[in-house]
Order: sequence, then C-alpha cells, then structure tokens
Amino acid sequence: MTRYILSRLLSAIPVLFGVLLFGFLLLKLTPGDPATVVGGPMATPEVIEAIRREMGLDKPVVWQFLVYVGRVLQGDLGYSLISNTRVLDELSEAFGPTVELMLACLVWSIPLGIGLGTLAAAYRGTLVDRLVIAISVVGVSMPIFFVGLLLVQYVGYYWNLLPFLGRGGPVWTGQGLAHIVLPAVALGVFFIGPVARMTRAACLETFGQDHVRTARAKGVRETRVVLRHVLANAMIPIVTLVGLQIGFLLGGAIVTETIFSWPGVGRLAVGAILSSDLPLAQGAILMLAIGFILTNLAVDLLYAVLDPRLAR
Amino acid sequence: MSAALAPEAPPRARPRKAPRDVLAIAMAVLFGLIVLAAVFAPLLAPLDPYETTPQPFLSPFWGETANAAYPLGTDGQGRDMLSRLLYGTRLTLLIGLASIAIGGVVGIAVGLLAAFYSRLDGVLMRLADIVLSFPSILLGLAFAAVMGPGAPAIVTALAIATIPEIARVTRGSACTVMSQDYVVAGRSLGLRDWDLLTRYVALNCLSAVFVFLTIRFGQVILVAAALSFLGLGARPPAAELGTMASQGRDALFFAPWIATLPCIVIVAIVLAANVLGDALRDRLDPRLRNA
Repeated sequence: MTRYILSRLLSAIPVLFGVLLFGFLLLKLTPGDPATVVGGPMATPEVIEAIRREMGLDKPVVWQFLVYVGRVLQGDLGYSLISNTRVLDELSEAFGPTVELMLACLVWSIPLGIGLGTLAAAYRGTLVDRLVIAISVVGVSMPIFFVGLLLVQYVGYYWNLLPFLGRGGPVWTGQGLAHIVLPAVALGVFFIGPVARMTRAACLETFGQDHVRTARAKGVRETRVVLRHVLANAMIPIVTLVGLQIGFLLGGAIVTETIFSWPGVGRLAVGAILSSDLPLAQGAILMLAIGFILTNLAVDLLYAVLDPRLAR
Repeated sequence: MSAALAPEAPPRARPRKAPRDVLAIAMAVLFGLIVLAAVFAPLLAPLDPYETTPQPFLSPFWGETANAAYPLGTDGQGRDMLSRLLYGTRLTLLIGLASIAIGGVVGIAVGLLAAFYSRLDGVLMRLADIVLSFPSILLGLAFAAVMGPGAPAIVTALAIATIPEIARVTRGSACTVMSQDYVVAGRSLGLRDWDLLTRYVALNCLSAVFVFLTIRFGQVILVAAALSFLGLGARPPAAELGTMASQGRDALFFAPWIATLPCIVIVAIVLAANVLGDALRDRLDPRLRNA
C-alpha cells in the first residue's frame, strides 16, 4: 500500500516539472525585453541594466527557471498586466467558484448516470437499453455551449425561471443556489453520457460472473441482485473510468464558466489569453493543470482504498 | 459462441443488430452529405459568406422577417447564414482533418517505433501517458496562450492531444502483428527494419488505427468548436461553426438562429462521426460491442 502510494506520488513529479517548465517558457516568450518594459521608454541603458540585474535576467536560463519554480512554490505568480493585482489573489478568488461548479455538477450527474447505466444493463437489449444508449451518444455529441445556450435562451430568458448570469453568492443562500442550477445542469448533461455508458459496460461485465448466477440460483430478488451483487461489484471499474473523465469535466467547466459568466479559473484563463495578459494566463493555466494532476492523484489513491488488490 | 454457454444473456439480444446497422448506414450517408456540402461549398453557396448587406437579423424562411434571397436568414452583419454555414462547415472539418492527419501520422510513427524497438517502448509510452493525462481543452488554452489565438494554435494542440491515443492503439495492434509468422519469416529472410516496418507491420495495423481516428474525429471537432466558441480558435470574421455560434450569442434573445444553426450542424457532424466510429469498431472487434 505505502509503496503504491509512494510510486504514484513520485510519478506525478515529472508531470509537475513539465507544467512548471511550460509556465516559465510562457513568461519567457513575452515579446520584448521585460527590463525595457519595466523601465519605461525614458530609462537610460544603465537603469535598464540595473533592472535586468534586479530581475535576475543576467543569470543563466536554468537559474532563472529555478528561481521561477521557487517563486511559484511560494505562491508568487507575478502581477496581472491589466489590473496590476497579484495573480495569486485573482486565482484564489476564482478557485472556489470553479470547484463549487464542478461539485454541483457531479452531485446530480453521477447518481443519474450510474442509475441510467445500471438500468440499461439490467434491461439489456430492450427499449430502455437503447434509449439510454441514445441519450448518452447524443449527450457526448452535443457541444457543451449548445446545451448552455439553449438553457440560457429558454429557461433563463423566455421562461424566466432561473438566473443565468454570474454567481449569486454561496450555494447555501437562495440566490447562490438559483444561480448555480443552470451551469451545473449544462455541465452535467455533458457528463451523464460517459458515466452511463461506462456504468452499463461495467455492469454487463459483472452480470456474467459466477457469483451473480449463484445469487439468482439462491432465489435472491432481481432488484437485490442488481443493486447488491452487480452494482456494488461494478463500482471499482466505474470509479476508475469516471475518475479518468475528470479532465473531460474540467474542459467542460472552462466553456460553461464562459457561457454563464461564472467567475471561475476557466473564465479567468480565457479572458487573460484573449487580452494577452500572459502572467495571469500563465497562473490560471498552471492552476488548472496542477489542480488536474492533483485530482488524478487523489482518484488513483482512492482506487487503492477501494480495491486493495491494486495496491499490492 | 452458442447460447447454451451464456444463459444469462436475454434472448432479445440477437435481433438488435439490424437497427444498429441501419442507423450506422444512415449516419454514413449524413456524414457523406455534410462532407460533400463542405467540399463543394463554393459552388453551393448562393452568396459570398463575407459580404455584409444592410439587412441584418433577417429570420430564416419560417420566421416573420423571412426573405427568399436568404433562406436561412442573415446574421448580425447581414451576411447570408446559408453561405456562412456551408463555408463554416468547410473550415471546421478542415481544422478537424488537419489535427487528425498530423496527430495520426505522428501517432502511428511513435506507436510503430515503440512496438518495434523495445528499448524505446518505455520512454515513448511514458511520454504518451503524460500528454494523454491532460484534457484537450487545457492544451488548447496553453497553445493559444503561446501562439496567440487562431486556427494554427488549435490544430497544434489537437494534433498533440491526438498523438498518444493513436500511438497506443498502433502499438497494441503492431505488437500483435509482430508475433505473426510472416513477420518472423520476413525477418529471417534478412529484410531491413524499414521494409519490415512499412510493408509487413504498418499496413496490417491500419484498420484498427483508422477506426480510432474516426472516433477521435468527432471529439476533435467538438473541442475545436468549443475553443473557437471561447474566441481562441478561428478569428472573426472567419466563417467557422464555433466562431459563428459565439457571435450569435450576442443576439441570442432576438435572433436565436444565428447561434443555433451552426450548433445543429456541429451536432450532426459529431453524432455521425461517433455512431459511425462505434459501428466500425463493433465490426472490427465484436468483443468491444458493450464498451
């Protein structure tokens, strides 16, 4: 167990290194000499030289990279070129809403996806099965912005049922809850398909196993067979496969945030790229990537808990 | 497999095959029509997709302000929607095709090398794992940040995101091919590595890889459209489906067709590619039917 956890932790290091290298290169690629930019147009060559030394630009690139890594580890991601606020401050404000949105999506889409998938597997080959397959295929074929725009247009605007712009505060307040419904539904529609599909496949696999036949032979009721003997045993592959989809969800969250003006990291990243605010873009992409790596790591460690065979 | 060996399979499972095939054929026809429309867009488009007219927000033929000259209406700058949709499909398919082609060629090469030279295997597959672990949209954001928003950034990101999956599939099927007698025979005849790879191994892996490329194509179109929607892809005034949807967003409440029509075309393309890819995969490997 400890060995498995350690090896997983160690294997995340080269990936983190690659991500940091990317962030560093992104800042290095800024057109123009940073020292000249900081110094302004009136700076004399001596002043620019002094700034260059102060910023460490006269040092070798490898050293500059190490300094960058050190700064990132201390949470210093530089300043936004547009608002001149600290990148870390902007990110920490946006981090909560993104996590909130993803959780609000998972809370309803995973149970529904697993339910639909189990139903399809239990009624394999019937109309129910085909309907679930159709839902999941159409779900993965819809661009998430189409779902989002439809929700905004009908539920938000024509029927005037729910707010569709921005965040209304914490989820436990009425306003906060009302504001999160549409983004969470849009993101979830996108996520149900893969979850249902994987649950169905995992359940079908389990249906063929001996212990299920034994349970049926003992006269266990079919509902109980499906829930206790099939679904419970299919949970490990389901968690594995769903865990692998976290990246998919993150990608969807970036688009959803933009449609619903949700103040999260994805919208921040897109806005920063569009306005060429490289320090902010670097920080936001770094945060998305590291968040993604850490989630994957957490999912991997969760398997070890769920399935002790893996850890050996 | 006889029915006696699998008593738990309900009897209704068998006749399922027929409707699925019909669906796959229908989707193949749909896909073919879309591709033809894209290829012949310059001939089919009634008007110039970039020419602005003083008649913005004309509704399509079923609407109140319909005009026979613009069967699908006009957008916010009075450009003909039908022509823009045709050209937009063309550009969207082109972006998808370029990404798939580049990613596919590199992926096949990497996969073959990994299967053929076991010394490279570990390094290449480890690298593939790292890239594979990142969501395509995140790669798209990263490349748009480096190269500036635009079609080249998207194609680069999607090509890179395509490489690892294709490399894995190629490696898997190449490893199977490598153990076949005729490859061993070719080797003992003294064929050079290059000939053995290209003429014996590569050609026999292609069908599996092709199926995966079809499945991947739908995903690539979706991500490309999403990135364009975010403003990171093809730049306005370019007629590209995602970009068009993004521009239609501003007029969503009084001219919804500007955003909806390109979205519907995207759904048609992706749905056709997905169903087709699944059907081809079933045909190639019936064991995967339930996956």
